[in-house]
Amino acid sequence: MSEARTINGVVIDDTFAEAFPMKATRLIITAHNITWAYHAAASATGFATSVIACGCEAGIERELSADETPDGRPGLAILIFSMSGKELAKQVERRVGQCVLTCPTTAVFAGIAEGEAIALGKNLRFFGDGWQMSKVIAGVRYWRVPVMDGEFVAQETTAVTKSVGGGNLLMLATDLDAALRAAEAAVQAMKRLPNVVMPFPGGVVRSGSKVGSKYPSLGASTNDAFCPGLYGLAAKSELTPEVRCVLEIVIDGLTEADVGAAMRVGMQACIEIGSAGGMLRVSAGNYGGKLGPFHFHLHKLLDAGGGSA
Amino acid sequence: MTRVRLSLKQAPSLRVDLRGVKPAAFAGLTLAQIEHLPVTHGTQALPLAEFFSVTCEDTPELGRELVFEGDLSRFDRIGWQLAEGRIVVTGSVGDYAGACMTGGDVQVQGSAGLLAACEMAGGTLTIAGDVGDHAASTLPGSMDGMRGGTLVVRGRAGDRFADRMRRGTALVFGDVGDFLASRLVAGTIAIGGRAGAHVGYGMRRGSVVFAGAAPAIAPTFVPALIDAAVAWQLLARDLARIAGNHSGPFEGLAARRTARHLGDLAADGRGELFVAV
Repeated sequence: MSEARTINGVVIDDTFAEAFPMKATRLIITAHNITWAYHAAASATGFATSVIACGCEAGIERELSADETPDGRPGLAILIFSMSGKELAKQVERRVGQCVLTCPTTAVFAGIAEGEAIALGKNLRFFGDGWQMSKVIAGVRYWRVPVMDGEFVAQETTAVTKSVGGGNLLMLATDLDAALRAAEAAVQAMKRLPNVVMPFPGGVVRSGSKVGSKYPSLGASTNDAFCPGLYGLAAKSELTPEVRCVLEIVIDGLTEADVGAAMRVGMQACIEIGSAGGMLRVSAGNYGGKLGPFHFHLHKLLDAGGGSA
Repeated sequence: MTRVRLSLKQAPSLRVDLRGVKPAAFAGLTLAQIEHLPVTHGTQALPLAEFFSVTCEDTPELGRELVFEGDLSRFDRIGWQLAEGRIVVTGSVGDYAGACMTGGDVQVQGSAGLLAACEMAGGTLTIAGDVGDHAASTLPGSMDGMRGGTLVVRGRAGDRFADRMRRGTALVFGDVGDFLASRLVAGTIAIGGRAGAHVGYGMRRGSVVFAGAAPAIAPTFVPALIDAAVAWQLLARDLARIAGNHSGPFEGLAARRTARHLGDLAADGRGELFVAV
């Protein structure tokens, strides 16, 4: 905080977000109309806020128009991130099997072509009990599984790519309304960018964590240094008395540049609200730079528009 | 030297077997060595220069290419077991054109004889004219027909088209003879014209698309109650892509509705006939 920068009354801390390598894939879910595509995508990306207990982090990347999808129907692109390719494969199979196969009218396709292949419809096809059909079209194998509304079509595999998870911004504001306003504006700006998702509810997390706990069985616990309710109580606080609410946005992206770009537009949205709107400071979470290889320095992002590993 | 041009001097009195005359076979050879490559004429082995005048050109941007000029209707096995490179024939070709090819590209600007693309496993074979019987099917006595790659026939096809085919895509812009897709194991076939009798006789799996006239469908097929709209879109868009700019009967295929029939119930019964309406 020694060389914090102030823009439009908002202090940008001289700190960095620390992010980690992850494995990711993109799936394209199409349906008879966008409503049913949303039902499937919301279900498939549900309970996927943090790898700590969900197995993956996932979100809806964007809507796809009919001319952008392989089957000419409206659809959605979703991104799923895990800590390993093996865990990602498990999550993809479970989520597509329980949330997309089951959803009326849907079909699912790989959204990334290059990379190690993991099963998409490859094992789900056995739901067809022998009635499933394979179709190779333009060198790509699809499985057609008979279901009660017709047939479920799934591409055999999807590709896994290296990615970056855990980019983050902390928004410190005068009150809850101001913090929510800033967080919502930042998430909205980030959602306009490709290749990123903000996996927490509404893209925002209130329970920022630190490594470790007084309880030996817990690996993470509340980030007391950023809890306004503990100001004056906790031995160390990162806050000042004016800060009454802190919210965080976590960003997962396919590349370091994607995460950096999302953090930059998020910060710019906060700056636009300014101190007049109750936005006081922007900070970021890190572990001293010793755990994650990707460091997104807030000042560098604002200056140059990219993170540095 | 990457493009070899073979211009026919005169039609041979007997049939000539051109297996082995492939772009890759010319790599590192001088013009004189190419001229002396042996080919079979009847029961005799004669040098290539006996039939063709040979010229070579440097065209590094094209990759390896072999161009035949003239009517090669008496020349069989052009593109036999081709794995890479490109063969262009400005006229018609004999039997077994593109048979057993695994890669590369063969373009015939005329017609082809019997057994074109039989047991083809990869690459692309395009025939501007017609093909004879048993195209995309098996070599005599073999169990599996075409098993990969893409065959495009812009004219008509004879009987037993794609007999025992098990993978790949075969398009015919015009009419086809009897027993289309007989004993089909799998793969995709699309027909732009009329089909003869006994369509899909004994087919087990696979898809046959009729973009032209609706065929006579055997009683061993049942009408499907669902239209498989997603699979149809994937299939129809790819067929239109393969058909290219002048896609004729396949133009706008994805926008057409289909009637689907499943069979042949006398065999495995998991094949499908898409009739575009």
